[in-house]
Amino acid sequence: MTNNVIEVKDRFRNILDRLSSKSIEDYYNPYRIFEWPDTLPEDMWWMSTDLTSTHGTELAEELDQRQLYKLSRYESINFYSLNVHGIRELLIEVIKRIHTSGFEQSSEFFHHFIGEENEHMWFFAEFCLRYGGKIYKQPQGGNTSIPTSNAESLLVFARVLIFEELVDYYNSKMAVDGGLHDTIRKVNRIHHQDESRHIAFGRELVRMLFEDVRRTASEADLRQIENYLKRYMTHSFESLFNPHVYRDAGIADPLRMRTRLLSAPTRAAFEQRVFRKPMSYLVKIGIFDDRSLDLR
Amino acid sequence: MSSALSSSIQEIRDWILSKHPDLTAVDMSEDLIESRLIDSLSFVEFTFVIESASGVTIDMEKIDIDDFRTLTAVEKAFFATR
Repeated sequence: MTNNVIEVKDRFRNILDRLSSKSIEDYYNPYRIFEWPDTLPEDMWWMSTDLTSTHGTELAEELDQRQLYKLSRYESINFYSLNVHGIRELLIEVIKRIHTSGFEQSSEFFHHFIGEENEHMWFFAEFCLRYGGKIYKQPQGGNTSIPTSNAESLLVFARVLIFEELVDYYNSKMAVDGGLHDTIRKVNRIHHQDESRHIAFGRELVRMLFEDVRRTASEADLRQIENYLKRYMTHSFESLFNPHVYRDAGIADPLRMRTRLLSAPTRAAFEQRVFRKPMSYLVKIGIFDDRSLDLR
Repeated sequence: MSSALSSSIQEIRDWILSKHPDLTAVDMSEDLIESRLIDSLSFVEFTFVIESASGVTIDMEKIDIDDFRTLTAVEKAFFATR
């Protein structure tokens, strides 16, 4: 074992110990921490205005204030629904790996991670069901598209990291947005607090897994990994533009609305803003060559 | 195939081609999943495009993947009863 590998493992162990202690110190009862009002007012924003999918576009000008409030309501339910589905997928992957070879160091923290993610899934689902009457569904289909078999764990945890960073961008803004209802701010604040630990863990794990893959991967394998993860970023971003949301908000042609918004001149800057942190990190550790998301 | 049906399938075919600029045609019997023309990352949008072209609401939790495997299967599952 080289000195570098020992140093990386020691650093990882120290981080895991610190994050596990923090999880124990910060532990709270999610079933008691929230006060859930029976209803939330409809005549206000449910999502920060600059996070809504129409923000800054000409489509926003075609809608009146009441329609924009309504759209923000369904967009927020979609956002929390995506969290529910994303957490379920990541829990499946983490549970498949806990206490198995290669994850000996991570398993102690995995216990905290699994517990906290389960609780997050509960309060996101609770919000959707109480105030939206539903959780937006997510179809399952197609191949899983994992390009190289020995990179599977890297791709899984890089996806988890990208997803968590995207969500955290929204959480951290909405946690402090005085224009939102207290309940919405609190859901976002509590999640943001826990996710900062999960993101710190995810970054270290992804870096270690990538170093391992890089030792044997060809240049073509590495470009395939970059391509896949960038496609995943785009896919995650586009899932925030859900035509079922536009239909529920009373938009006449929901798919056309989605297409127009995704091809709006504001889109590229919005996408880069949302992914600024994970993009910088993935470029810094060498998984990405550049920040471009235009793969077509 | 009626002309209305034909144009709806063409809409779906055009969307697939827009995702794969290297292709010029997609055969009705081409296995879209096996050939990776549709994968897990593009599947959600694929369902939206079919919904828009057919007017049918797809129950996301009761999806039979074989209904999406070829353009012929899509036509049969989502356009045949119109």
